[in-house]
Amino acid sequence: MILPKIVSEFRDGLAKGELLVQKCDACGKLNMYPRFACPHCQSEKLGWQKSAGKGVLHSFAVLRAGAPEGFEGDLPYALGVVKLGEGVQLLGRLAPDADGDWSSYRCDDTVEFVAVPAAEVERRPCATFRRVKS
Amino acid sequence: MAENWPLYVTKTSPNDPVFVGTGEIPSGRYPNRSFIGDLTSVALRALKDAAMVPADVDTIMLIPNLHSIADQADLIFSRMVEELGLHGKAKASYMVHSGGSTSDNAVRAASGLIAAGHARTVLVLQCERWGSANLLEMITMLSKNGIPGEWELPTGLQFNAIGALITRRYMHATGSTAEEMASVCVTLRKWAQLNPNAMYRGKPLTVEQVVNSKMVADPLHALECPMLADGAVAFVMTSSENAKKRGLKDQVRVAGSGGCVSHYSIGQEKDLAVLGWKTASDRAWEQSGWGPEDADFAEIYDSYAAVTTSALEGLGLCKKGDGARWFAAGTGDPGGKFPINTNGGLLSAGHTGVGGGTALLVEGIRQLLHRAEPERQLEKASRCIIGGTGGSYMDAQVLLLERV
Repeated sequence: MILPKIVSEFRDGLAKGELLVQKCDACGKLNMYPRFACPHCQSEKLGWQKSAGKGVLHSFAVLRAGAPEGFEGDLPYALGVVKLGEGVQLLGRLAPDADGDWSSYRCDDTVEFVAVPAAEVERRPCATFRRVKS
Repeated sequence: MAENWPLYVTKTSPNDPVFVGTGEIPSGRYPNRSFIGDLTSVALRALKDAAMVPADVDTIMLIPNLHSIADQADLIFSRMVEELGLHGKAKASYMVHSGGSTSDNAVRAASGLIAAGHARTVLVLQCERWGSANLLEMITMLSKNGIPGEWELPTGLQFNAIGALITRRYMHATGSTAEEMASVCVTLRKWAQLNPNAMYRGKPLTVEQVVNSKMVADPLHALECPMLADGAVAFVMTSSENAKKRGLKDQVRVAGSGGCVSHYSIGQEKDLAVLGWKTASDRAWEQSGWGPEDADFAEIYDSYAAVTTSALEGLGLCKKGDGARWFAAGTGDPGGKFPINTNGGLLSAGHTGVGGGTALLVEGIRQLLHRAEPERQLEKASRCIIGGTGGSYMDAQVLLLERV
């Protein structure tokens, strides 16, 4: 199956260690998740902007049981809704603390995008964030 | 922003759509029951409750199931028309689907058909058998349906994780403790003791048991996650004029409704502690002329406590931030100031898929018809709030029902 460009180019960015957000060429507004037409002005001329990678953690969850098929080996893992400084938001994985768990994480923590190896992006094409120690 | 507009039917309109009967069978794990058997059973129970037979129905509306695509196709292709002996007679049979809020949208659809004259009597049917299905298959199905495959599935998101994201933010925003969240489950379990059809009847629950159960998706413990259950319900709607003609004394009507679709993907929800409840509630109050003080009880989707507590706040049934503490004070308990989820809810009657919200809706109708079993029939049952949602809690639907 061939992925739409708005998906493959986002993932290519992750593989290069970049977090891309969609930018409308017509009105300049940013969109996440990337869409086929700008939700603000309906233009189909859409490109990308590299995110500074900093955001606020709106909420997070640590899954310990009941993984969907294919994810059992990842348990436990943490997911978070991150509000980026650019004014858009997305769901991503959260890197664990040094002890392998997420006990230091709190809502409204500052988080930053973490580049992961291209092979890991291939396996799990999603953004990863890490808590920034205050 | 959608504009508000009035309901074009009133209590005295001959085409005012009214509920006149309900039917239900027990929820839980029933591997020996069958899909078509269950649907037939609740169809006939609802019709009997409405003092009708199948030939009195012109339109069958189907609520979807989640356990089987083949069973779904049976519904879509009008199997229930033939099963009920209506082939050659029924005008139409079709499915309405919006995930968990289907029950609310099916009411609007059936109401619209009756008010416009496209239908006179609508029989709405629901059956779910995922309680008897392979659990991993159901978890995986839920992670692929209603979660964007390109953007969120790769993270390993699944339904308890969605509940956990909402619960964590709700607890942070409101300062609610784990014990206060657990008290929601305890209230619901008390109601389930009074409902012969509830999965957890005979199984009382304490706050200690909940917070000491295994952590499944932080901050959710196992005993505050819903259990997948088999179940089936049905209800009958007809025109006020037809109900009167048939001598049906007990009728329930829709006083107004509101809704808000606040996102599709959980990653795009702006405030996980609020969702679409305030917007949906304000629209419902405006259309009906009611306020929160006008309702006698509520039946609000409760797959996870935080979904219900944020609904309570959006509805103005308690102060913003107080939803969990409202439960902890026993306000919603049997005998409490404001009964809530009087069938035990999804958390204690059983999560019957799209049927979870449908069972709550049917309980609301049943209470307003004054036909619940005596142990839980409310004395004051004239007006109720139905709160519906589902999936990634992308929409909040509020129906306001009243006894005619």
